[in-house]
Parts: sequence; C-alpha cells; structure tokens
Amino acid sequence: MEKVMCYIPKTLNEALEIRNKEDVIVLAGGSDLMVSHKRTIGLTPKFDKSVMIIRNLPEIRKIYMDGSECHIGAACTSREIAESPLVPWHVRQAASRMGAIGLRNSATIGGNIANASPKGDTPGPLYLLDARVKIASTDGVREELVSDFIIKFRTIDLKPNEMITEVILPLSEDDFDYVFWHKVGTRKANAISKVTLSQAVKFASDGTVCDYRASATATGSKTNRSRDVENIIIGKRIAPELIEEVIAAFDGIISPRAMPEFRRESCRRSIRRFLTEAEKRRIEGCRDKVIDTYDGYYVPCAPVCRLS
Amino acid sequence: MVTEDISKAIRRIDAVSKSKGTIKYLSDYDLDDYLWGRLVRSSIPRGIIKKINLPDLPEGYFFVSAKDIPEGGKNYLHMIATDWRCFADGDVKYVGETIGILCGPDKTLLEDLYEEINIEYEEAEPAVSIDEGIACKGGAFINGNNIHCSLKLEVGENVDSVFARADKIIEETIETGFQEHVYLETNAAACKKVGDKYQILASAQCPFYIRKSIAPVLGIKPEDIVVQQTTTGGAFGGKEHFPDVLCGPLLLAAYVTGRGVKMIFDREEDIEFSVKRHPSKVMFKTALDKDGNIMAMDSKVYYNVGAYLASSFVVLQRGCFHVTGCYKFPSFRTEGFGVATNTFPSCAFRGFGAPQTLFAVETHMCHIAEKLGIDPLEYKSRYFIKQGDVTSTNGRVVERVMIPEMLNQVLDASDYKRKSREYKYGSGRGIGISFYNHGGAFTGNGESAIIKAKLRLHKYPDGRVEILCGQTEMGQGFHSIMPKIVSRVLEIPMEKVVFDDPNTDRVPDSGPTAASRSTMIVGYLAEKAANLMKPRYDKEEEFEVETNYEHPEGYPWDQASFQGYAYLGYGWGVCVVEVEVDPCTGEVTTRGIWSSHDCGHLIDELIVHGQTNGGILQGIGWASTEVLENVKGHFKQTSISDYIIPTSMDHPKQGVYYVENAYRWGPSGAKGMGELVFNGSGAAYIDAVSRAIGKRISAIPCPTERVMDYMLHGHDFKEEF
Amino acid sequence: MDKTISFKLNGEAVSITTDPLRRLLDVLREDFKCHGVKEGCSEGECGACSVLLNGEMVTPCLIPLGAADGQEVVTVEGITATEKGDIIVQAFADGGAVQCGFCIPGMVVAAYYLLSRNPNPTEDEIRLGISGNLCRCTGYDLIVESIKLAASRGGDIWKK
Repeated sequence: MEKVMCYIPKTLNEALEIRNKEDVIVLAGGSDLMVSHKRTIGLTPKFDKSVMIIRNLPEIRKIYMDGSECHIGAACTSREIAESPLVPWHVRQAASRMGAIGLRNSATIGGNIANASPKGDTPGPLYLLDARVKIASTDGVREELVSDFIIKFRTIDLKPNEMITEVILPLSEDDFDYVFWHKVGTRKANAISKVTLSQAVKFASDGTVCDYRASATATGSKTNRSRDVENIIIGKRIAPELIEEVIAAFDGIISPRAMPEFRRESCRRSIRRFLTEAEKRRIEGCRDKVIDTYDGYYVPCAPVCRLS
Repeated sequence: MVTEDISKAIRRIDAVSKSKGTIKYLSDYDLDDYLWGRLVRSSIPRGIIKKINLPDLPEGYFFVSAKDIPEGGKNYLHMIATDWRCFADGDVKYVGETIGILCGPDKTLLEDLYEEINIEYEEAEPAVSIDEGIACKGGAFINGNNIHCSLKLEVGENVDSVFARADKIIEETIETGFQEHVYLETNAAACKKVGDKYQILASAQCPFYIRKSIAPVLGIKPEDIVVQQTTTGGAFGGKEHFPDVLCGPLLLAAYVTGRGVKMIFDREEDIEFSVKRHPSKVMFKTALDKDGNIMAMDSKVYYNVGAYLASSFVVLQRGCFHVTGCYKFPSFRTEGFGVATNTFPSCAFRGFGAPQTLFAVETHMCHIAEKLGIDPLEYKSRYFIKQGDVTSTNGRVVERVMIPEMLNQVLDASDYKRKSREYKYGSGRGIGISFYNHGGAFTGNGESAIIKAKLRLHKYPDGRVEILCGQTEMGQGFHSIMPKIVSRVLEIPMEKVVFDDPNTDRVPDSGPTAASRSTMIVGYLAEKAANLMKPRYDKEEEFEVETNYEHPEGYPWDQASFQGYAYLGYGWGVCVVEVEVDPCTGEVTTRGIWSSHDCGHLIDELIVHGQTNGGILQGIGWASTEVLENVKGHFKQTSISDYIIPTSMDHPKQGVYYVENAYRWGPSGAKGMGELVFNGSGAAYIDAVSRAIGKRISAIPCPTERVMDYMLHGHDFKEEF
Repeated sequence: MDKTISFKLNGEAVSITTDPLRRLLDVLREDFKCHGVKEGCSEGECGACSVLLNGEMVTPCLIPLGAADGQEVVTVEGITATEKGDIIVQAFADGGAVQCGFCIPGMVVAAYYLLSRNPNPTEDEIRLGISGNLCRCTGYDLIVESIKLAASRGGDIWKK
C-alpha cells in the first residue's frame, strides 16, 4: 500500500495555504475518519489522498462570546463544549452525550458537522438555534447556516480550498421559556442516537406562543426542522387540537427508513409532551425551564440550564 | 491453628499485574519470528466453491487449505461431534466458514493480498432462522430434515391424557435471540513446531480440548501437540471450543510453512465470524384445571444450531433438562430439536442452553399468572421444587432447596410485595421476579464416564506447592481460589502455592474449564489432594500426590435415555428487577436489581460477588439491548458500537445476597456458580418491563424500539394467548 | 510519507520517524512497548486503550500519531508509576475490581482522569466517569466501589 502525505500545520494560515494547494482530507479529532478508514490491528488506516491534521490548531480551538453570539472553534472537542458555560444548553446536552468519554475528548464540532451523518449529535441543536458555520480559505471568510451547509447525507457545501473554522450560535436557552432535548440512544451512555428531538418554546405576555422550534435527528437523511411546521402554533395559544396539528405536520417532514414507527411515535409523543407540559407550566407560573419526556426522568450529571 | 472462614475475601493473585497492564496476553507476546495468518472465509451462506482466484503470492507467502492436509490427516475438528470441517472443501455451509489460511511475514502486504483474493461460488438458497431450517428452505442439508439432534423427556402421567380432561389449555411461544460473548480480549492463537512437537499458544478455556480437536488434521496424536494457555481476557464459553477453529488452520499452516504462524482477530472479525449463543424457540402447551392450577406442561424446544452440530446436542440436552425451571409439575413432557441452518455454528455461552428454557418457563409462568389475575410470585411459589422431588429426568433433587430463604432476602431488600401491589400494569413502573437454577458440572455420570478428572499437587523442597491441573483462569478467579483452598488445608501461606496457566505437557487433564465444574469438581480434588499431602508435608522434601474424580454411589444416570440424576448439585437463584419505562420513547431505566443465590459455601465472597454482578448484567443485556440479527446468513451487527452491551450507566448498583447451604461433595461446601448467575436476570427484567407497559413480552432481546412496538401493538395480560 | 514525530511519553521526550498516519495505539504498543495499552474494539467504543493526551483521556485507536506531535502522552505505565496511580491499583486489587483484566488498564486511566478532576465523586459521577470503558466481566459495581476506595484512601492527594 502506498503511503500518502500527511501535513501537520502549526497555524490556521498554514493550514489554509496547504488546503489551497492540495485537496487534502482534513482530519480533526479523527473519531469518524480513523474508523471509516481503518484496516485491522497494527495497520495504518487507508487514506486515498493526503491528510492534514488540524487537531491542535490554537486559532480554532477556543470558545468565546462576541456580543450575544457564542463562537465555538471548529476543533473544540465535545467535552470542551459540554463543559463551557458560554455554550447554549441544547448544544452542551448533545455534546455531553456524544459517544464515549475518550471519544468526547477527540471528536470536534467541526468534524461532527462535516461528517454530515443523519445520526450526528450536534446538528439537531444547531439547526434549532439557527447556528451558522464560519468558513475560511485563502480567499477570505464566509458564513452560512448549518442547515444550508449540510446539503444532504454525507454532503456539505465546502469548496476544496475551504475549512470550517467556527460555529456561531445567535440564540441560546435564554431566548426561550422552556426547552427540551432528549436523545434516545442505543444505551444510557456511549451511545449512537436512535432518535433525538430538540425543542424550545417562548411565550408572549398574553400567553400565545411567540416562538416554537423543533428539530429531529436520525429521522431521515439529514436533520429535520421546518419553520412551516413551527408556524402552525406561533402566534396562537397552545391547545390540544393545535398540538395534534403540529405533530401531524412534523410527521410529514421526517422520513425515517429503519424503525420508522418507533422513530415517528417517539417524535409525536415527545412533541405532545413538551407542548402540553410547557403550557401547563406557563399557566402555573412554573419557571422550571427543562422539560423532559416524563417527570423524574433520570439524567445523571447532565449540564445545567442557565436561569433567566 | 484457627483459620478464618474461607469466604473472607483475599486479593486475587493477578489483580495488580492486570491493573498495571504488565501481565501479557497473547497480543503482547514477542512473536516476531512468526508469520501472520489471516483466515480466508466464505462470503456466502450456502453454495459450491467454483474457483479460488489468488493473487500471485510473493516468496514467503502461503495459502493453505484442505488440499494441503497430509495423508492420514482428516479435515475435521473434534468438538464432541466431528462434523465441523477444519476447511470448507467443495462447498460452503455458512458465512465465515474457513476456506483457507493466508500466511506471510508482513501484515500490511498480507492484508493487501487478502483483499485481492476472489472466490467464485455457485450460490444456493440458505436457511437462516429456526423456522427456515425446519422448513428445509433451499433443501435439507442435514439428515434429510435439518434436525441435527433431538431428545424427549417425560415425567408422570402422559400429558396427552391430561390434556383430554383439562379445563383450559394455554399455548404460547417464547423466543430468544443470538448473543455474542464480547470477551474484551479478542480471539488469538499461535502455532509453531518446537522440536518434534507442535506448540500452541492460545487465549482459551480448554487447552486439552484444542489438542484433541486438531490432532486429526495432521493425523498425529494429541500428545504431539503442546498447548500453553495464555492469559485469557474473558471467555464466557466463547473460548471453549472456538479456539479449535483458529488452531486447526494454524497447525496445518505451521506444518506447511515450517514456520510459526500467529493470528489475532480484530473486533469486527471476532463478532462477525465466531460462535454465538443458540437462538431458541420454546412452544408451550400447558393444561390448567378449573382453579387455574397447572395439571401438565408440554413443550417443544428448538435451538438454532447452525451448520455444524459440534457440541450442540449437549447444549440442547441441558436446555431440555432445565425447561421445568425451579418447579415441579404433576405431569411433564418436552421434546428438543437442534435445527440445522446456514449460520455460524452456535456453541457454548455461559449457561450452556439452560438460560433459554429458563427464560421461557419463567416468562410463560408469569403470563399464565397474569392471565389468571394472580401475582406471578404467588403463582410460581405454588410449584417450587423441594429436596427429594422428582426432576425433569426422573431423578431426585439431592440437596435442600432454599428458595424460601432466598426469596425472603430479596423481598425484604426490594420491597417487592408493596411495589408489585402498587405499580399498576401499564403505569410505567414495574417490578419483576424470576427463579432459576443451574445443574453443576457435566450431566449425569459424565464426570466419571467421560472426563475422569485428575489433579496433582507437587511439593518442592523449598516448601512451595504447585497445583497441576488443566483448569484455566479466564477472569473468573479460579487461579486465586485454588491456592486459597490448598493453602487453607496445608496451613501454609497462599504465596507458597503456585498455580500457573496450564501447559498440556506439564499438567494432567482435569477436564474443561466449563459447565460450572471447576470449583465444584476440580476444587474438590485439590482439597482432597491437599488433605493427602498434609500429613507428609513436613516430613518429605519433594513429592507428589494425585487425586481422581470419584462419582458418589447411589445416583444412577442413563445417558442413552437421559434418565436419572442429571445433576448432584444445583445452584439456585432468585432475582428481582425494578424498572421505569419512558412513556414517550419506550426507553427502560432500571431502578433496582436484587438477587440471592445458593452456590453452597462461598470460597471467596468478593470473587463470587464479582461473578454475580457480571452474570446478572450480561443476562439483562441479553434480554434488552443485545440485538444480533442474521440477515441472509450475515450477522448485521459487527462492531461494539452496533452490538450493544451494558455500560456502567445502564444499570444501578446491585443488591447481592447469598444463603449458606454447604454442598456435600464440594471444597469447603462450594458449588458451581459462574453460569447460575446469568440464568435468571433476563426473565426478571422482562417481567418488570412487561408489567410497566401492561403488555405480554414473549421474545428477547427487547430494546427500546421493540418496547415501543409492544406498547403500541402488544397483547394485554387478560387477552387470550 | 514518513515524518519525525516528537512528543513526551510518560514524562520523557521521545521521537520516532514513521508514517504519521499510523494509529497512536499501534505506535505505543509496537514501537514503545506500552503493552498496557490494550486494543479492544479499534473504534473508540471500549476504552481499553485509553491514555492521556495533554491530560485529557482519549482513545489512541482513533488518533493518528501526527496528532501527538509536540504533545504529551501518558499511558497506564506512566500513571501506575506515580503515587496516585498506585493508590488506584491497590484499591482495584483490594476492592475486587479485576476479573479478566483486559479492560482494567483503561479503567485505571479512567479512574485517574476522574479523580484528578473530581477528588470526591458521587456514585453517579463515577459511573459516568467509567462509562466509556466497557467491561464484560464485572458488571461494574466492584470497579465503582474500588474507585470510591481510591478516592477515600487518596484523600487530599487527589487535590494536588
């Protein structure tokens, strides 16, 4: 087997220069690429073109606030994201339940987006919160909504000379009254998503919904979210018939292939649960922000929500 | 000298070296002068091999297959039966069947060459499931009916005549799936000719099995092969016979190449191409009188054996012997069938056939109780078997059965009675209970007729005593408890007792490390040998004592009719599991696990505790998340991100209890327990889940999506079966 | 293409000229004979190969050697040579944590990583801390208990 070239740039500029010259495979954490290219014990993974390792680039491994927007460097690991109080709750939840602990110290948010797997953990919350990716090349930088950037299964809108450098989150749980994030994994930890639903709702002072969002992963070829579905309930007061209308419409935008009934039914029940419980808490004046699939759902050591 | 109770925990002798990572597993050995071996396997479940297209092999690279077997050699592996071929020849019967072994010095080049191999087949239609096997899909390929083996047991009045006067007959089918062992260390073995003998290094449970199994391939005597067990990172039955499948080709490769050859499976290879627990289907027909009492229970037990029989008839026998569980019914019949299919042959897995039928009978009993509106505990307790009662093989239970005492322990700890009353069916909370046993050691007179275990103790001039027997350490702690037993009797420090990993040239054959027999049978031989050694220990410099297994008189067994005393000592267990089910998603959260076991007197409470925890969790895994599907002959889950075993977060800390019930013929009164602790947790878990959702669950594994499926479409307890 | 990769291994500066796309796991086992680093799954699921990379627990089956260039790697061999590591080893031995032993070096690394960040973990936190390390023998309970034992035996040592 021919050995391919491996670049280990020390700075972002150096990385962009390499990317500009050669169509290299960009390897950040390695948690997807090292598995998909693995051979057997003791053998070097088989890459068909040059590889550039960006794991340790300092410029893209920091989390900071710019105004009200949270910026997450593309090479930040799931653990760094899960533990940062700057990061919105939904994203921290997803990061904290991604794979095994060792993997969370490798897997990056940039890689999770670039992998464009429908079972990826972070896209659900990123879609929900209108997150953008910042993309750089030697020609300059641009931004794009994550939901546009991920075109379809395993396909992203990235030119051969470009790199993802940041993920920007314009919204957080502070912008909502009640939030929901629930991953049904293959087991309680170290799990791949069977279906994950993210939701958030905000009420106007008159009790009508002024914003509602829902996104689901592992329910189709890419993360599913639709503003049309959400608009069914926005501007109105939550009522059982309306919830059923939202559920039916959401059911129409997802297209799970394996286990379709389970995935659809979990989404239906979780939407019903969230909207019903949110309305109940609103009426009771309950400020407890996190709603889960049932009261007392057992989540050890989960990231906490900011109080607003 | 007053010694403390042998139950008091000691430090395992291997604990520190394993924690530091200094102990060597086979993959840590320096075997640089060995060639790498790579098994070339069938990629189809059934068909004719038309042509094997090999790339040009550089010098020093070899492809070894059936045609290389020398004159006088036989193309089979001896694993109780002799039908499993060392190499497929002419046709293939399952995906993963060994066709040849590719060998060479450079592993990367070897893999490149391996990827270039192309085998042309004429494919035939495979039978994969039990139903397809019985229906002889694609044409029968075994015995004209695809039944590898069968047996029948009857106790009491003929069940058909009981059925004729029954008030009600309940028919129900319970099914269980494949299970993968997932020992953390994958399979590994190496073979090299040293002097005039072939030396095998293997991660294995039974070194003597390997020798006997593979010697026919070269037409040599078992004694011409020396097997050295290497530190074994878990086995659970998966390294009982299966190492033979590696070692047979390695032996031939070493013969052909004149070099040492080694093989280490990666995880994907190990899951895709290794033996599994037998899937099962148990069809019950149970007669009730007008008060709901069981008059007779009839059952048909089907195990998916796969393409080769190998050890499966013995697995099926144990399954049938345990189909009455911990109960005594007035009249009973079972018929067992080992079904041939084009899947990887099924083989030993902790419990050896007993867990499937125990799960079936426990679940069936719950469903009858729930149909009648009676708490499963109350209903089951009407039928508990007692000392002196007739067993499924018309023998008697020899020992005292302490189910009532064990039950009290778990009821107190779990608060079962209150919870069972308060958690309404379908409320999202549920508590379940199961009863189970496990017959210790080989069936009937197998220990005396077949195994004839032998053990020696050697005293050295410096006072050290070496234990010489074939029993292996694979994680269960045997190499710590044996020195404990011997040092206790001799009243010498444990450090003075040596027990190395067995080498078949150095130790006598004390039988396999399987069947929960090691402590019970070989431990007892060690205790007896130590007692023989004791009066001479201070007087003589260097000497050996030997003990041989002797079967107690008065407990007859007929292997031809399966009648008599199948087991002299059973382990017994009670398990309670409490769960919560997510009403939105069907996810199950385990809230509590409590168990009590009777495994005689405990040799080491900490080792027994660890075995219990592990067995219980493995049993719940089997019943819940461990889905292993076989699609058209291929296993669908081929990695441990797809095949889901429990993590530390999946289940809470267990409540673990024991009763004291010394066994007459065990060392310090100990009985077997390694398999027992697996046998019942799955049924308790499923009982709990099914009560929480208010639906009958009749098949495992039952992962989240199937729980949801039952929630949506399952049958209520009151519905007809 | 081969490159020279330099990093710190168990406190010592090392360098090796090889293909930087080789898995760090293979380099540690084959070139540096760190056989305590076990390969259980090859895909970052089982945790048997766990090591610390710049103090963070990672699975080197997922990491190309090149990613360790200029970084610091500590294996179970490095950890168990320290006082803290020895406390864990002794607690594992006394607490019955060890059965077949294949997952155990990884568990020791996980315990070290956990206690270094959280000297007094709760039962839940310990279970979370080892949730990336699969064990098929023990059912985890005695490993959890042993980590509690290591936490209490170590006391203030874990805060250093």
